[in-house]
Amino acid sequence: MSDSAPKEGQPLPSSQPSQKSMSKAERRELQERQRATKAAQKQQQQNQAASSSKSKGQSTPQKKTDFGRPRSSSSAVPKDAAKDASGALDSEGPKTRGLRIFSHFGLPKTLGHQLKGDIHPAIIRLGLQFSEFKICGANARCIATLTAFKSVIQDYTTPPQNTLSRHLMTYLSPQISHLVAARPMSVTMGNAIRQLKLEISGSDIDLPEQDAKDQLCSQIDHYIQERIIYADSVIEELAMNKIKDGDVILTYARSSLVEKILIRAHAEKKRFSVIVLDSRPLLEGKTLLRTLTSTTPPIPCTYALLPALPSLIKEVSTVLVGAHSLHTNGAVYSRAGTAMVAMLAKEHSVPVMVCCETYKFSESVMLDAFGKNELAPLKFSPSETPKPHSNLEVLDPLYDCTPPTCITAVVTEVGLIPPTSISSIPLALGKTNL
Amino acid sequence: MDLGVATSEPVAREFLAVVLAGFGNELVPLTSNHGAEPCPKALVPVGNKPMIDYVLSWIDQSGIKNVLLICPAIHRAAISHHVHSDLPTSFRVDVQTYDESPDGSTGTCTILRHFSSRISEDFVLLSCDFIPPPSLSLHTILDKFRTESGTDGSIATACWFEATLPDKNAIIEDWGSLPPPTPIVWEENTGTLLYIDSADDSDRNSEELELRMSLLSKYPRTKLSRKYQDSHVYVCRRSVLDLVKEKRHFDSFREEFFPWLCKIQYQRVKRERYGRMLIPPNDDGTLSVALNHSTLQNKLHEKPQLQPSAAEPSEPPSPTEADSGIEPASLRIGVVLHQAADGFATRVNTVHSLLDMNRRVLSQTTYSLPVDPKSRSLIDQKAQISSDTIVGDSTQVAERATIKKSVIGKHCVIGKMTKIVGSVLLDHCVVEDGAKLDGCILGRGTKIGAKAEVSRCVTQAGYEVDAGETVKNEKLDVSDWTALDDEDDEDEDDEDEDDEDDDQEEEEGKDESESE
Repeated sequence: MSDSAPKEGQPLPSSQPSQKSMSKAERRELQERQRATKAAQKQQQQNQAASSSKSKGQSTPQKKTDFGRPRSSSSAVPKDAAKDASGALDSEGPKTRGLRIFSHFGLPKTLGHQLKGDIHPAIIRLGLQFSEFKICGANARCIATLTAFKSVIQDYTTPPQNTLSRHLMTYLSPQISHLVAARPMSVTMGNAIRQLKLEISGSDIDLPEQDAKDQLCSQIDHYIQERIIYADSVIEELAMNKIKDGDVILTYARSSLVEKILIRAHAEKKRFSVIVLDSRPLLEGKTLLRTLTSTTPPIPCTYALLPALPSLIKEVSTVLVGAHSLHTNGAVYSRAGTAMVAMLAKEHSVPVMVCCETYKFSESVMLDAFGKNELAPLKFSPSETPKPHSNLEVLDPLYDCTPPTCITAVVTEVGLIPPTSISSIPLALGKTNL
Repeated sequence: MDLGVATSEPVAREFLAVVLAGFGNELVPLTSNHGAEPCPKALVPVGNKPMIDYVLSWIDQSGIKNVLLICPAIHRAAISHHVHSDLPTSFRVDVQTYDESPDGSTGTCTILRHFSSRISEDFVLLSCDFIPPPSLSLHTILDKFRTESGTDGSIATACWFEATLPDKNAIIEDWGSLPPPTPIVWEENTGTLLYIDSADDSDRNSEELELRMSLLSKYPRTKLSRKYQDSHVYVCRRSVLDLVKEKRHFDSFREEFFPWLCKIQYQRVKRERYGRMLIPPNDDGTLSVALNHSTLQNKLHEKPQLQPSAAEPSEPPSPTEADSGIEPASLRIGVVLHQAADGFATRVNTVHSLLDMNRRVLSQTTYSLPVDPKSRSLIDQKAQISSDTIVGDSTQVAERATIKKSVIGKHCVIGKMTKIVGSVLLDHCVVEDGAKLDGCILGRGTKIGAKAEVSRCVTQAGYEVDAGETVKNEKLDVSDWTALDDEDDEDEDDEDEDDEDDDQEEEEGKDESESE
């Protein structure tokens, strides 16, 4: 413990001298140091608590060195303190630096091993398949969810003194939250579950239980058939009419619907070629390429990554993309990269057709893809991805938002509509809700 | 909700855990009878906890609530009593027996056939002697099975762990030889087990490993290794049991049936013959529609028709079978490989591994004097108990006894001036004054006479070593029992020896001055 009153301009001793004797600059440095050590402690707690911590506290020691630098004479000690603080942080082992942006998307979660309550085995398996991206894509997830719910409903028994119409929904809620924990719910799943809830609450109290369950299962089947399978075939017809011989069709990533359209058009003896654009992390275009080239005779295809688009766009006659969901203002929420394709196509006056069933409509308004998005899990990143504690962070949003101005038409089962007029669709379908 | 009426299980059972508790013929004489009473292998303790406890708690943690425990008829009472005495509430263990004598060779396949009526869902086949490491959770293996059997048509998942070979000088030939390591071939990327070199294969051709070309053309990038050992944890579909029933000539699940099952993945004839039985065509029809729409999945079945059929609306169009170009279910066997670096796992089915496992458990525990005043009073002040031992309840330790690196069971009596190093004593043992034990495993109720020196031995329960005897490197059996038992002793005369153990050398480091 050296002198208690250090002269100004000299490095501060490690003890705490009285605040009055310090200059303002030195007081501020002391404060920063305390803040840094506090952040370091909080960092330690955070790292112990969560496996992937988003540490905004990193910014504090960073700021500290910035402050330290202009005051070079007395900055020796603060810099050391900063180094000590960051050194202490670094020595805690691998930790993520934390995403400054998109941190509200949440990092991809691994399913916890604590299953709260009884989750049906079909739902457990489905959650695993969602989180491993084995079932991926809006249509696939919706169909898989509904089929899993069919088995859950069949295995369900109404507890005594209760009715199926009231209790089944509370029974299904934890299953649904388990699926949401695996991967955030898609709009298609949400719409389907809402419809299911409506039908459950509307089921007749007097029906014997097995009949009520069978009725629900057949209603689920109807939903899948009408709004997905049959809708797809109607869309195939409508879109096929827009494909002429000699066309070059551009598609992005893999949409189950666009794939069906192309195969159907090819089966109807139309002669066209396809450019498949693809991008990391999922590289879904590869599976589309495999399917398209395994038809007989094979469809002539070109495969390119997204950056190759400007050189290819000049040869394209139509762009066909799929969608995850369609919003009230006409925006299309789709795989990341679709917006770029649509924008560039519009600049080159190439018509952009979005193929989308009506059950993908969402009543919200989407202006950009930052409010709601999802990050791809790290296993899809290339193996040369830098380690978590380096200075480079990998960010893989899965979705983006295409503004309605870039879209020429939306092909739905009720016809080809401009994107902004989706609000008139329910009336056209004769339904009060979507 | 009316709590008065007991409702049936709200959720269908997903898995049934089948635990096989055998005789433990490799652990003789520990598992030989104690007089008339049997010593089941499942109740042989590791770190003073019967080994079956480890397996059952592992199953419990993974969320499986139903266990079918199969044991020989004569062990039933002991095992049943132990298992039911301390169960968490929703965990149900059903103890079933089969009739077998220790000499008879009822294979595990036979047992499964016998009990196949009790198994109605996908099952996990475990052995009672697998000690799982904390880093490996049964959940991991189950999840792999769940994902793959849904999307890929996989039929089973196994778990193999990297076995650490003990040092040459730690192996004692008289205790029995270690089983030879089995080479396996697997694919790293998808975690598929392709080929297990079974005993039959190595008999047929002991110098070469024969692999089929169809294996390599289907999975061109594979790895081969001998350093893994089977953990005897198999998660299987229910239809695998049907196959067990059909193949009557297979006796052992691990040695014969499972290597044969691996061959179905790539051998065309076998696949054609058994594919339908393993995965009935309509079984996964519900999920195939979703999978066909999935963007990251190759199409499982070709769409048979592009026009929507005018079929009744209650079922989605089902793919027709036997279409050319269909990618059929893969019938894969998944495998989870556990590296030694992640934690130590072993099967305690040989005496060596039992001793080894006990030692590892010791390295993680620290000894503290018991809190209970009654037990505390039994342990003398002047006894020197090092911190890496486990002493069971109600054990009496007299003064100036030295206990190092050992596991002492309950209700033992350790006399004065004894020296126990690196040993495992089961319950109710009596070690009289001045005895020296080194690297031994003593069965229940063993009596060591005063000033005897026993090293590297395994004794049967109830064995008695005479005062002043020296025994080394033996498996000590009680050769014949009279009706009055316990006080009888059967001597085995053995030669003297001095050996400086590895343990003892390590002990010297932290040795306090020892008496005598």
